[in-house]
Amino acid sequence: MLLTLDLNDTRPLHEQVAAAVRRAIGEGSYAAGDRLPPARELAQALGINTNTVLRALRDLRDEGLLEFRRGRGVSVAGAAEGRALLVQRARELLEDAQRHGYRREDLITILKELP
Amino acid sequence: MNPGTNTPALTPPSRRTAALWGLTVSVALAAGPLLLRHRLPDPIAVHWDLGLGPDRSMPLAASATMDVALWAAVWVTLLVMVPAVSGRRGARAGWWGALVGSSALFLGMGATTLLANLDAPSWTEARLPAWQAAAVLAAAVAAAVSAARLRRGGPDGPGDAACAPPELLLRPGQRAVWVGRAGNRWLSAVTAAAGTGLGLLGLLWALGLVGDGTAAEVLPGLVIVLAAGLFTSSLTARVTEEGLAIGFGPFGWPVRRIRLDRVQRAWAETRSPVEVGGWGFRGLPGDATIMLRGGECLVVGYRSGGRLAISVDDAERAASLINALLAERVGA
Repeated sequence: MLLTLDLNDTRPLHEQVAAAVRRAIGEGSYAAGDRLPPARELAQALGINTNTVLRALRDLRDEGLLEFRRGRGVSVAGAAEGRALLVQRARELLEDAQRHGYRREDLITILKELP
Repeated sequence: MNPGTNTPALTPPSRRTAALWGLTVSVALAAGPLLLRHRLPDPIAVHWDLGLGPDRSMPLAASATMDVALWAAVWVTLLVMVPAVSGRRGARAGWWGALVGSSALFLGMGATTLLANLDAPSWTEARLPAWQAAAVLAAAVAAAVSAARLRRGGPDGPGDAACAPPELLLRPGQRAVWVGRAGNRWLSAVTAAAGTGLGLLGLLWALGLVGDGTAAEVLPGLVIVLAAGLFTSSLTARVTEEGLAIGFGPFGWPVRRIRLDRVQRAWAETRSPVEVGGWGFRGLPGDATIMLRGGECLVVGYRSGGRLAISVDDAERAASLINALLAERVGA
């Protein structure tokens, strides 16, 4: 699971971690039912507190992206491939568009023009 | 798919060559005693002390059967190893050396044993000249070394560019890490069973239902299975700016760390336990595989020329990140 954090991001850390995990799942590195690496490992790699990662994972569970199962750890939820991932990708697309100077309306126009 | 196999066509060991070779040696080992049986004592001398007087005998048929069986064990082992040794030059050389050297040793020992027993009135009269014993050993070593040199093939290539992982661009002001895991359900189940067994044994022993003797007999086995299972049933791997860290077992300990400055490049590869010779830590240092399950493996190539493969999920992204971090380091 490839996680990227923006060092200049001012959002709370657990939100950034949740976004990074969402992005990693959205990129297709983990399919529905796949088991995530342990939270402790994610925290150690990112150099942050395990509780912050756990909070992010809990948020994602509440969103319906992850499933917590006793003895099986955390895995990607069966329904995750639907709306949650699409929303994440749309969010990234919007950020990308703004970086290149396009507004939301321009993006919608581009989407409409697609066959 | 395996990087480093760009070698001449004759060199990779093939199952057919190995099978034919082994069959020939087996036939030769069996044919000698069969053809000469009228000129041999029965039982025959099969072992000599250092003064080269015979000190052990065996019925002729049993001796011939044992020779063929021992050779067959070596032969089958080498046959199973064929896919695992095709890739690397060192492994190929070792395989050919083992095949030809052990054949020479078995044939030489068989021939000198028959010669010593030939026309002897009884096995106690069989004399083995010292030079023959020495010559067999020397010939086996020479055969092994020359086979290893002749059949090892070309040096290992720098790796196949086709299996390079997709390039990853790191933006400045961004922190990228990768974490992956791999587990083996069967090994976990065996570990859990050993743990349960240990608990049950303790309970029965405390209740006096199991005697001290029985408990002491079963205990070491269970402890060994539990300890081995705890360290090998799962692993986690992480890639950070510091390098690659591999944690064994559910607690992520012990940890093996590989600093980035030792690494040349990384890629992902598909390997199976059959290819590398089983589960666990396989191969030799310089070409080892940490194999928990077949499938996707992360391979790091060291600057020193060696490589290490780790069976882990999402390996391609890990390879991309390692390469990106290496590129960034060179650029800085």
